[in-house]
Amino acid sequence: MYTERFDKRNFNELRPMEAETGIVPNAKGSARFRIGNTEAVAAVYGPEEVKPRHIEKADRAVILCKYDMLPFSVPDRAKPGMDRRDIEISQVITNALNRAIILEEMPRAMINIRVYITQADAGTRCASLTAASMACADAGLPMRDLVAAVAAGKIGDSVCLDLTKEEEDFHEGEGATDVPIAFLPSKNEIVLLQLDGRVSKEDLKKIVEIGKEGAMKIYELEKKALKRRFSNESKS
Amino acid sequence: MTLENYNYIRELAGKKQRLDQRKEFEGRKIVIKDNVINHSDGSAYVELGKTKVIAGVKVLNGVPFPDRPADGALIVNFELSELTSRYHEDRINYSIEVGRVTDRGIRESNLIDLTKLVIEEGKTVSFVYVDIVCLNNEGNLFDAANIAALRALLNAKYSIGGKEEKLSLPIDRTKLAISHTFTKINGTLFFDPSAEEDNVADARLSIGLSDKVNSLQKGGNGFFSPEEVDMCIGKAIELREERFKILMNDIDS
Repeated sequence: MYTERFDKRNFNELRPMEAETGIVPNAKGSARFRIGNTEAVAAVYGPEEVKPRHIEKADRAVILCKYDMLPFSVPDRAKPGMDRRDIEISQVITNALNRAIILEEMPRAMINIRVYITQADAGTRCASLTAASMACADAGLPMRDLVAAVAAGKIGDSVCLDLTKEEEDFHEGEGATDVPIAFLPSKNEIVLLQLDGRVSKEDLKKIVEIGKEGAMKIYELEKKALKRRFSNESKS
Repeated sequence: MTLENYNYIRELAGKKQRLDQRKEFEGRKIVIKDNVINHSDGSAYVELGKTKVIAGVKVLNGVPFPDRPADGALIVNFELSELTSRYHEDRINYSIEVGRVTDRGIRESNLIDLTKLVIEEGKTVSFVYVDIVCLNNEGNLFDAANIAALRALLNAKYSIGGKEEKLSLPIDRTKLAISHTFTKINGTLFFDPSAEEDNVADARLSIGLSDKVNSLQKGGNGFFSPEEVDMCIGKAIELREERFKILMNDIDS
């Protein structure tokens, strides 16, 4: 049984968040998103000439997105460079961004997105996606909506929002089920969905609902951060 | 991406029809052959329609991971080479995704009790390697790889350090997480996509299902609504019984 969370949060409560944009001045757009002890930094370059040329698309832009866990971001040292996990996560993030960004408005162009995980405490793919979507908005790319992503799940018998590493490793009862989920909130579209663990159809429905609630809160924070950035710029 | 039949398949999908005339939630025929590889400890050849894969299991001694001294290890690898089809786009990323999703289905369902694979705690444990190779890619590699891996694990017989005694893997058969893949084309959901459908699909959802949902993976550039996800899981629950029967056919209890 899991009746009280390790960090005393409510079951539908997110960890404290911070969002800011424009932190990589060289990039066309950039953002930092922090949720509890998980922090992602994203930078966007482009639209620019496609390299290598053979991946160019005549009717739309292509997105190259790389997720990279920095060596010092985890308790042991992560090996520098991309491993199989990083490649898969890059792929699912790219899938989600392909829906969020209106690619048809930028034919024959490439958009380069790089995400660093500076600190990891679960939910890194969701934090990356949130940061990357803010960076894309910061870069002024045409978008259907921002992406708001959060890891919901079930610990023991309790449906939880925004799991920590400690909760992911919970082994009693039915153990932990981790469901990273990303929405285009205003359109109610799920653009990223993964699950590992053990959960019934009914519980999964509850998890998706609680994930939507959390995503709406992240969405508000994203919008606030972007507004702050553009109101600052108009002053200077 | 090839453009051949692209618009036609999407048009048909809008009318809830498929190029190969299957119904929306009709899967292709599954053929399984056991022990096709002499040098492996267990193997299976699976045909899902014209998709063909071979899974081979090898159980070898190894040094346990430092953070899990009392656990054996499971390593799943999937290979998709140029040999398999003319759809070359993102072949490497795709094969990594299939391998990792298959791995998660087996791992998260706790199918294999890794604590029983210890030979000497902290020093020697058994490593279960599952290598899955695609021979012909006619779509839906997630389900084909999953079925081949499960069958190869089920029929694996291995011995430790040259001893005569043949062991089966510590498998809990109530925990077989069977993969069911759905695709969304032009607003319509289909089960068991063909290569041509994979090629034009907007989004894909793979569901690993035992008595509960053990894994989910959304793929593709499109989206699913929460209702569509719920519906796919409902359909997967209906479809699982038949797949389970095919998977367990001729496996001695």
